[in-house]
Amino acid sequence: MFEFFFNCSPAAFHKGNWVFLAGWPWWVFALALMAMGVALGALGLRRGRAKLGFRWILITLLQLCAAAILLLLLWRPALIVPFLKPHQNVVALVIDDSRSMGIAERDGTRIEQAAKKISGRFLNDLKSRFQVRLYRFSSSLEPISALETIRAQGVATRLSPALRAIAAEAASLPVGAVVLFTDGADNTGGVDPGTLAALRNRKIPVHTVGFGRERIENDVELTGVQLPERALPGSRIEAVVKFRQRGFSGRSAKLIFQDGKQTLATRELQLKGEGDQQSVTVLLRVGDAGAKDVQVSLEPLPGEENTLNNYCVRPLLVESRRPRILYVEGEPRWEFKFIRRAVEEDPTLRLVTMLRTTQNKIYRQGIANPKELEEGFPSKPEELFAFQGLIIGGVEAGYFTPAQMELIREFVNRRGGGLLFLAGRFGLAEGGYAKSGFAELLPVTLPDKKQTFFRDPATAELTPAGRESLICRIEEDPQRNFERWKKLPYLANFQETGAAKPGARVLVELQAPGHGRYPLLVTQSYGAGRTALLATAGTWRWQMQQPLEDKSHEAFWQQLLRWLVSDTPGPVISSTPTPVAYDDGAVRFQARVRDLHYLPAMDATVEAHVTGPEGVSTVVDLQPDPLEGGIYAAEWSAPKPGSYIVEVVARRGDGEVGRDAFTFRREDGTAENFRREQNRELLEKLSEQTGGRYYRPHELDRLVSDIQYSEAGISVRETKDLWNMPAVFLLLLGIKGAEWLLRRKWGAV
Amino acid sequence: MYLRSLILATALLILLLSAGIAFQRGGRFPFREDDEGPLALPPDANEKTEWAFARLRYPQYRGEGLGRWWSARGHWTVDYPKADRTFVQGVRRLTRIHARSVEQVVDLDSDEIFNWPWIYAVEVGHWDLTDAQCKKLREYLLRGGFLMTDDFHGTFEWEVFTASMKRVFPDRPIVDIENSDAIFHVLYDLDERFQVPGIYPLMRGMTYEYDGIEPKWRAIYDDKGRIMVAICHNMDLGDAWEWADHPEYPERYASLAYRIGINYIIYAMTH
Repeated sequence: MFEFFFNCSPAAFHKGNWVFLAGWPWWVFALALMAMGVALGALGLRRGRAKLGFRWILITLLQLCAAAILLLLLWRPALIVPFLKPHQNVVALVIDDSRSMGIAERDGTRIEQAAKKISGRFLNDLKSRFQVRLYRFSSSLEPISALETIRAQGVATRLSPALRAIAAEAASLPVGAVVLFTDGADNTGGVDPGTLAALRNRKIPVHTVGFGRERIENDVELTGVQLPERALPGSRIEAVVKFRQRGFSGRSAKLIFQDGKQTLATRELQLKGEGDQQSVTVLLRVGDAGAKDVQVSLEPLPGEENTLNNYCVRPLLVESRRPRILYVEGEPRWEFKFIRRAVEEDPTLRLVTMLRTTQNKIYRQGIANPKELEEGFPSKPEELFAFQGLIIGGVEAGYFTPAQMELIREFVNRRGGGLLFLAGRFGLAEGGYAKSGFAELLPVTLPDKKQTFFRDPATAELTPAGRESLICRIEEDPQRNFERWKKLPYLANFQETGAAKPGARVLVELQAPGHGRYPLLVTQSYGAGRTALLATAGTWRWQMQQPLEDKSHEAFWQQLLRWLVSDTPGPVISSTPTPVAYDDGAVRFQARVRDLHYLPAMDATVEAHVTGPEGVSTVVDLQPDPLEGGIYAAEWSAPKPGSYIVEVVARRGDGEVGRDAFTFRREDGTAENFRREQNRELLEKLSEQTGGRYYRPHELDRLVSDIQYSEAGISVRETKDLWNMPAVFLLLLGIKGAEWLLRRKWGAV
Repeated sequence: MYLRSLILATALLILLLSAGIAFQRGGRFPFREDDEGPLALPPDANEKTEWAFARLRYPQYRGEGLGRWWSARGHWTVDYPKADRTFVQGVRRLTRIHARSVEQVVDLDSDEIFNWPWIYAVEVGHWDLTDAQCKKLREYLLRGGFLMTDDFHGTFEWEVFTASMKRVFPDRPIVDIENSDAIFHVLYDLDERFQVPGIYPLMRGMTYEYDGIEPKWRAIYDDKGRIMVAICHNMDLGDAWEWADHPEYPERYASLAYRIGINYIIYAMTH
């Protein structure tokens, strides 16, 4: 029907380009249209029809429209459509045989439906015009000779490798189009940009035919679990769990985190909107050092269709390292003592302190040996970079030499350390920080004035960012935590600061009667590290004014200082881009190796010692990256499913530069348990981005005719006239008919 | 009846004479200034500072009569306020501690004490804490407070002191502080310590009082090995602070008293 009225199919319009064959200039068209308008207007005025008002205007506009359409037809509109030359092109029919295609629908399994649709008239029609090649894919692409051999047994769906393989074949074959029969349940998060670029370079349209229900009723699914890959022993980490449900709105479900048989946390969830993605953040205590498998599960609900998508495992490495923090304080004060006490309660942190007790004496605590810091604040990179964090208390900027100031900047920027500034009568604006090298490192802009430190009471209040932050989480429950902060004893003192810098996060604000409101705790990223400001030295009252059992003060300081150092790397940073490798054991080991000054170590020997399940143990050599100094990498294939721990050791000559560890996990056969609904959105997007179209299975007849419009393979361009479209004549007829009807109705016009 | 009246009148006369003698100022002592009269407040008396000399006011031992002058005024006031203010001048001059020029009197009956993490108690051989006060002192010390005691002597006063202290910490022993403890090295190295006498025994040519011949530096520690209560027994650091500005009080005693006091404060602010 569409073709009868418009001379071409919708696909031709979709693929074709509009042209006007007359080639006359458009200014002629505009001039002619204007002349017609003037003539019609003048005629009406002459006959005295202007007095009829809008009726005359409407009739004149209809006449002008008809004239414009006729004029446009003189310019000869046409469509240039690329189409495949018959019998000279290959059409690839690619069928997904992953396990999700084995899900039973009303008319058999998805793969049975696909095979049935293909093997009918569709295949014969295609074969009458093109060479047809059949492929199956799940993890990779393979040609097949007959549809009967295909079974839904693939353990994963990976669209990208399959499409890349087709694009590669197009180098030697005239591939005119790809037709993908799938449910779109890709396990890799979609089609990567490289694959899309390869298809677009060869102008291969990917038509997609979607199978399976677009929504599965009565199901709860874990759609994502985000956990940090490393943590310090005994620390709390944030787990962000995403899930969605259908058929259970208003019900509750239980979310459980376990490490082996030990339950780490549970949370009751309220299931909301149908199909809406929900998210919940849960705090977990990670326990002792070691490699762990954190099992995340949603307890199955009665009548749930698929319970296999309620469970997943994430690897977590609880490191045995104990970061050291250097705290330099300019005067004896209570905050110093109580910070030390709070950290002493934390077995994962070590605090080394330098306190200026008198003008010329420094009292050192927590030092590794009597020589450490004997000369005062470090002035060599290897001395300062031995620490992971740095706290600068009430010390005036002038106490540090320019070289030390630059070293502190490098400590954060290059070494990746954490730096915390505290308020004090010699600190921040009072200590001349606003005009020193510290100004750049601070997460706030300091006022350029004195008398900013006050020994007056101030209260602390969490900001929205602070409510989300782990640093400020004294109580597990966010709302209770917010209320708890409101009840904390007032601070003994505070210091005025300016506004937070762009990108900095104000976690806590202070309210001081008679003074106003200022940022109290502000954090930011700086270079490879992070800096923070706490605009008080009076949190010690939280300890002295609250019962002994209350641990607010300890919790706050331990969390703040863990944040300060937990992401501070050592000389060797190792990782893998795929902490969970689904079904395919291929993993890449990466290591960044730096020397004592944290400059790239380009002449290191780097080994990865891999320990895995069932006695897997091997050593893998990492090779230097020729493009980037200090980067080493290796590809490796994990032979068995399970958790692996990799310890990377870097050496230079006989000496060890450093070592680091990470974990990853190979999961076999679980990816297909997730995303079992047809992912129509992905398929539509893939088709749109490659110039193809999305079809439902019953629309395959249309696909047979549409598939010929393609610029890939061996194609030609055909010009189709549009001036003689029946739709145009009908339109003209409609306009003139409307004019006639109006004239009859209004009589005198 | 007559005899009874005579005895009563004689007793009253003796009492009045005793009080009169006790309240005599100067007289036979070379120390012209005293430690009981009010001193003019320095101009910066109201300055808000990090640290102040917090003097503990406590109820005294009930078995004691009014036979001693200090019993009438309260033993917690001994050397007050001159010792406090003289000592603070030294703290200000010798350290970077932001110290207030005048003392702060605190007690164990309100929560105000939790604003002062270092407190000083003098003549604790005469104190007698109530159960509520013992409980509050225990809580104060365990939260992080620090108590320095001074100027009590001999066996009897020790027993009075420990009678209350045992009710504060029934399960924590009082031990001698080792020479190697940080409290003797945090600022000054105090390996060589000696008895610091009060002015009265010093005038008699002695350095000790009662049977307190040997000076003892003792302490009660918390579970992490930090001193909570620093006990200076058989010495009188308070007098040494108070009379440090007097030419006839030996410098060596005053100097040691200052060093001990400053070390104890800095220890309390670092441990």
